[in-house]
Amino acid sequence: MVRGRNAGERAGRAVYNLAVAGGFVFMVLPILLVLWLSLFSNEILTFPPDGYSLRWYQGLLGQQQFIAGFLTSLQVAVLATVLGLLVSVPASLALTRLEFRGRQAILQLLLAPLVVPAIVIGTSLYVLFVEIEIATDLPAVGSVVGLSLAHVLITIPWCVRLVTANLIGVNPAIEEAAASLGARPATVVFKVTLPLIWPGIVAAGLFGFVTSFGNLEISLFLIAPGQTTLPIAILQYLAWKIDPTIAAVSAMQILVIAAGLLITDRFVSLSRVV
Amino acid sequence: MTRRGLSAAALLAPATLLVVATLVAPLVLLFRYSLNRFVPGEFMVEAVTAANYIKFFTDPYYLAVLGTTLWVSLLVTVICLVAGFPAALFLARTRTRFKSLLILAVVLPLFVGNAVRAAGWMVAFGQKGVINAILGGLGLITTPIEIMYTTTAVIIGIVAVNLPFVVLTLQSVLEGIDPAPEEAALSLGARPFATWWLVTLPQAVPGVLAAGVLCFILAMNAYATPVLLGGPSFQMMAPVVANEILQQSNWPFGGALSFVLMAVTLTLTAAANLIVARRYRV
Repeated sequence: MVRGRNAGERAGRAVYNLAVAGGFVFMVLPILLVLWLSLFSNEILTFPPDGYSLRWYQGLLGQQQFIAGFLTSLQVAVLATVLGLLVSVPASLALTRLEFRGRQAILQLLLAPLVVPAIVIGTSLYVLFVEIEIATDLPAVGSVVGLSLAHVLITIPWCVRLVTANLIGVNPAIEEAAASLGARPATVVFKVTLPLIWPGIVAAGLFGFVTSFGNLEISLFLIAPGQTTLPIAILQYLAWKIDPTIAAVSAMQILVIAAGLLITDRFVSLSRVV
Repeated sequence: MTRRGLSAAALLAPATLLVVATLVAPLVLLFRYSLNRFVPGEFMVEAVTAANYIKFFTDPYYLAVLGTTLWVSLLVTVICLVAGFPAALFLARTRTRFKSLLILAVVLPLFVGNAVRAAGWMVAFGQKGVINAILGGLGLITTPIEIMYTTTAVIIGIVAVNLPFVVLTLQSVLEGIDPAPEEAALSLGARPFATWWLVTLPQAVPGVLAAGVLCFILAMNAYATPVLLGGPSFQMMAPVVANEILQQSNWPFGGALSFVLMAVTLTLTAAANLIVARRYRV
């Protein structure tokens, strides 16, 4: 970097550095505050704390609501991610490798779940599910399948975006070489294309999983009474009070996601996928 | 149909059908219901009426909710773009080994969910929260200041929720910009700020637009943050829609609210795209 030539430029550089640091601190601050609170020994929020304790983490196993919510969220997120990848990877292949009419329109349609407000998606799916229940007597609202299908919808744009971006980066000459040496189209896809874009597939899976796991606005409409997901359980508790117990629940979620990110980072550098 | 056309159709069909079945069809149904009449006690009566939309645009309460949602979203978008640009530029240009760690600092908050981050701000903003404890400890205030359940709290909360999206979008565009022209400008004697203003920023316009649009949509859509940090008297569109459908069971009016929210969001983002495209020919 070029050194400041005068006081004005040095001041400018200081402002820039401060802005960079400020941006990062601002993003991380709420997470650090939650982690800090989860270690307080006093139950009622006061600063500075009376002391530190891990007892809120021990108490987590007795929190039925959060455990049930966590299991539902995990189940739904895994199903939604797998299904999302299964439909999005072939679609991305067609969108980047084949010429056909209406390409742009299909792409816009597949990215649309990111543009339509989530609360509107939730509302309209709720209305549809209730109508399906009335028409068929099958439980749609509150079923894991229904919830998962709704979540597949919101994983599709992330999967399509990340996988097509990776496919565009692959030199088509490699695939053409394989094809001209006699590989069949399916062989080219499985032996050449997919191995080349797998960082994109990992990233798509990660983003899809997290989008589904953290979703609140759509799940809110589609759970039955007595059923919950982790984000909804956290929201409902927070609307009532904030204490070290909810901080410990949040901390567990933060640690699970951080671990997932670090593991992903070992396979594909995070700075390459996002 | 050619064989190519057939295989394209086969590859695209599952994803397309899924989006049509779970996005397009429900929206069509909801739009139809927004034209129905709501009779308390009777649920929903078949009709074709614009009454629900007229109710929205003539009731000062709902217009005020839309107004609040709009100005909060615009303000949040401006703050996020200004606050996010330096961090994004730094991420795009840095060569440190800690880049992955810095990316993690952006992605982790993005991934932990809005409710958890709202919890963090509740720790900071409460009557006995960190901010009041620090200000009181320094002797700057004698009675706690009110931050929780104010518009300021909601704006800070949504900015923090959206900032990682903005930083990542800007960063990926900035990384695609060749740094050579910047270096040329600097070595020819341009000041760093002039270089940024005249060389970097014009090339980053598509990224700024994409980041701004994403941020605006997310803010228009915000649910958890206004519910938790704004309290019962602060109303934005998303919580009002949810309440109308889930608590009041008023599908026609809830449907109308949904379509007003969607139409306003999409119109403004389309307008932003048009204006920027005309001005910068991107």
